Amino acid sequence: MLRFIVRRLLVTIPTILVVITITWALIKLAPGNFYSGEKPLPPAIEQTIREKYGLDKPWYQQYGKTMWGILRHLDFGMSLRFEGQSVNSIIKRSLPVSAAVGILAYLLALVVGITAGSIAALKQNSKWDYGSMALAMVGISVPNFVLGPILVIIFSLWLYWFPPSRWDGFPSRSVVLPALTLSAVYIAYIARLTRAGMLEVLRSDYIRTARAKGLSEKDVVIRHALRGGLMPVVSFTGPALAFLITGTVVVERIFALPGLGNYFIQASLNRDEPLIIGIVAFIALTLLTMNLLVDIAYAYLDPRVRYQ
Amino acid sequence: MKFRQIVGLLLLASFAFTQYSCTVASSKGEFFGSTTPPARNIFRYVNGDEPESVDPQISNAQPEARLAMALFEGLVEYHPKSMAPIPALAERWDINDDSSEFTFHLRRNGRWSNGDPIDANDFVYSFRRALTKETASRNANLPMYIKYAQPFYEQQVFVRDPQTGQFLLAKDFDDKLPPMPLSGSPIDPSKSEYTPTAEEAKPDPDTAFHQLMHSPLRLTLPGGEKARTKLLDKNAKLKAAIAGKELVTVKGEDIGVEAIDNYTLRISLVQQAPFFLGLLAHQVFRIVPRKIVEKYGHLWTQPENIVTCGPFKIKTWVPYDKLVMERDPMYWDAANVKLDELQFYPINDQTTAMNLYKVGELEAVQNRGVPNPWLHVLKAKKDYMDAAEGAIDYLIMNTTKPPLNNVNVRKAFNLGIDKKAWAEFRRIIKPLTAFTPEGIFPGYPQPKGPEFNPAEGRRLLGEAGYPVTQNSDGSFSCPKFPVDQVEYFYNTQGSNKLQAEWMQAQWKQNLGITVPLRNMEWKTFLDSKAKLDYKGFARSGWGADFMDPFTFLSVFYTGGESGTGWTDHKYIEMLDEANRTLDTKKRYELLAKAEDYMLKQQPIIPIASTAVNWMKKPYVKGMYPNPGSLFPWKFVYIERDQAKWDFGTPSLAD
Repeated sequence: MLRFIVRRLLVTIPTILVVITITWALIKLAPGNFYSGEKPLPPAIEQTIREKYGLDKPWYQQYGKTMWGILRHLDFGMSLRFEGQSVNSIIKRSLPVSAAVGILAYLLALVVGITAGSIAALKQNSKWDYGSMALAMVGISVPNFVLGPILVIIFSLWLYWFPPSRWDGFPSRSVVLPALTLSAVYIAYIARLTRAGMLEVLRSDYIRTARAKGLSEKDVVIRHALRGGLMPVVSFTGPALAFLITGTVVVERIFALPGLGNYFIQASLNRDEPLIIGIVAFIALTLLTMNLLVDIAYAYLDPRVRYQ
Repeated sequence: MKFRQIVGLLLLASFAFTQYSCTVASSKGEFFGSTTPPARNIFRYVNGDEPESVDPQISNAQPEARLAMALFEGLVEYHPKSMAPIPALAERWDINDDSSEFTFHLRRNGRWSNGDPIDANDFVYSFRRALTKETASRNANLPMYIKYAQPFYEQQVFVRDPQTGQFLLAKDFDDKLPPMPLSGSPIDPSKSEYTPTAEEAKPDPDTAFHQLMHSPLRLTLPGGEKARTKLLDKNAKLKAAIAGKELVTVKGEDIGVEAIDNYTLRISLVQQAPFFLGLLAHQVFRIVPRKIVEKYGHLWTQPENIVTCGPFKIKTWVPYDKLVMERDPMYWDAANVKLDELQFYPINDQTTAMNLYKVGELEAVQNRGVPNPWLHVLKAKKDYMDAAEGAIDYLIMNTTKPPLNNVNVRKAFNLGIDKKAWAEFRRIIKPLTAFTPEGIFPGYPQPKGPEFNPAEGRRLLGEAGYPVTQNSDGSFSCPKFPVDQVEYFYNTQGSNKLQAEWMQAQWKQNLGITVPLRNMEWKTFLDSKAKLDYKGFARSGWGADFMDPFTFLSVFYTGGESGTGWTDHKYIEMLDEANRTLDTKKRYELLAKAEDYMLKQQPIIPIASTAVNWMKKPYVKGMYPNPGSLFPWKFVYIERDQAKWDFGTPSLAD
């Protein structure tokens, strides 16, 4: 197991370097500049700006400089768009916002999703089953850019319970609506996955054996069925957590949250090369870590899984 | 699955939409949403994009300009209504008789937020900084009117004879050099440079630097070896004259900004510029603290380092969240600053901002902040700001490629758009036939371009070799027109698509030509426009940098900026002539003549003068819907007496 983890960690580094290189190349290929605006700059001024940020150098020098900074100091450089702000400081500042909303949404999705899915599986073809699965279908079908504004209308503009947008720190009332909006689709997926997983497990031989041994229904469900039934959920929620933590563009934009996702989309639109690379690398790292955790969780949940 | 997804989405979207219309429509009151003033004297504002930097000399966008107006001050400030220059750190000024030299008398109680006094040297430093390469200001073109500013920015060289110490002069090598303004001509001792004013009969002291500015313009050559050799190879006379001479790099000390004493600043320009005083309110001319900038480098604007000089100073700044400013007690006019705190929220999403406004978490939203579909309800509210903006919407054409290299074809497409109908449809904009916005520059005799005239357009197309024929059902077709050679380019944002489709329909209906539409992501779009890498038409907009028609007409002054490929020597000469004219009325007439000339060449199709389109709570006073949406924040206050509230758009008249 330990050897497996070490090997996976070693593969992570080259993977991220490849991700960075591809990202860098894509930015270079994209037309436009971080400084361009509706009013074009006079050529002399454009030239000055290009010199200041080293954009007049040949591509291999620019690439070398970027990679050297990352490899040597884990430093992604200064943002081009935001004068005087380093990429590392931007990630450090915006990550907690995204993570707070993301983790809250994740926990909500796990609790509600697994409960709903389990009930649906245990009472298959009852009104509970149909009801929760219908809701799950709605949750999957309604995109968050529709759900978010609906929640805002109901809870902010009508009831004045929660602020319609903006960040007030954590914990505060401003976390509620974004977390709800974000969790809806995950609740739905988790509920469906749990139900499917549980149904399959409930029909399997070892559950029949457990029942035959005379275990109580509670023990059968919690100790045996749920553990097996959650396998698909685990492989889904690992990467899901990575994306939730690193920010979801749409929700952060609807609620004007200063999170990583907001920065990510703006950096791309602004052609802010160091910032894009920094955030992509960070998301890649989080994703790889989560996948590793999923694999470890698998081994724990299913005794049949062994890594060589 | 797919089908169900779509049905679910449609159902919920329609639900959301009806709910939205209900919330908008159900706010039956005179105002939109809450009108409870904040408990404290704070002003919360949605400012658009997250600022690039609060360094006033770096960025050139409107959100940053609004921040700069709170944090930094220059010689003059914009008037809250007219945006004309009013005294700021300069108490008063003298302008010489041809608007080429300006002397500013600074107030003696100006202070930085750390308590240091402000004097004329701060201006000298800041103006030089705006023009240095390291600053890489996006606005460095604005101070270029100052003498030797351009050679300094481009790191050019003077040529000096090592024996005599004399510099070579520009007039000896350039016979097309325009006549020097008074600021660059020898001082006539018999008469005063300035028409004496009531406050000051005595002229300001002459200095060696002043004499230098008045001496003939020196020759400047490119600083780079390569560019210089290229130039010299083309000019044998110049090459011979340079031989054996030494090259002296143009330095910051050479540009025409001089601190005569601690409280007197003299600016010498390289040309007459009657609009220069108004230009000085721009953020690039606001001063920055030398000690702090030199100590912290590019980190000087970080909240823990920054020192400012405006009515407000930074309290906290969380990027992409909010920038909070508080009243600066060191500010010279702090007693008249009414707000305790300003909060700027960087929010771009119109709906998000309007929601905050409705629940009373904002005092005002930024200009162009009211979503289009909401206008039919909100325009009638008493807190809607209904006023003209100093900006225009227009289309540019690639005049370098057929068929639009033919002026008649360009004219035909202009005549084929019913701009009045478009303006009525959009509710808030005004139809435009010229290149300057309507009703923004008082006294400017704006020329009128041709009105909607499809028949004339069809005739012109026929003349150009693309006859338009009428079909039996009354519609038109123009089979010979190379539709594959033109496109309508626009960036994917806001109502651009709507405008594109409207224009396409107009041309189809009136000229029988269906121009294909093509949309692009913003930066890609800008890149294509700048490189003339498009065929046909492209959406454009322009806003005033200063309150003078020249801010629009100068788009075609250098050529490269317009994105049309159209440059015309005659047009440039006409503008130069106008700017050499001192009488405002005469000058305006000449500018209007130049504008008329340009319109006749039709490198652009004017569409509309835009509207400011924003909202503020009725209890916000001292804030006016001026044409640039730039607000001198010290005049803004919260009025708690309902009788004194603004009901409707406050008047811009004094």
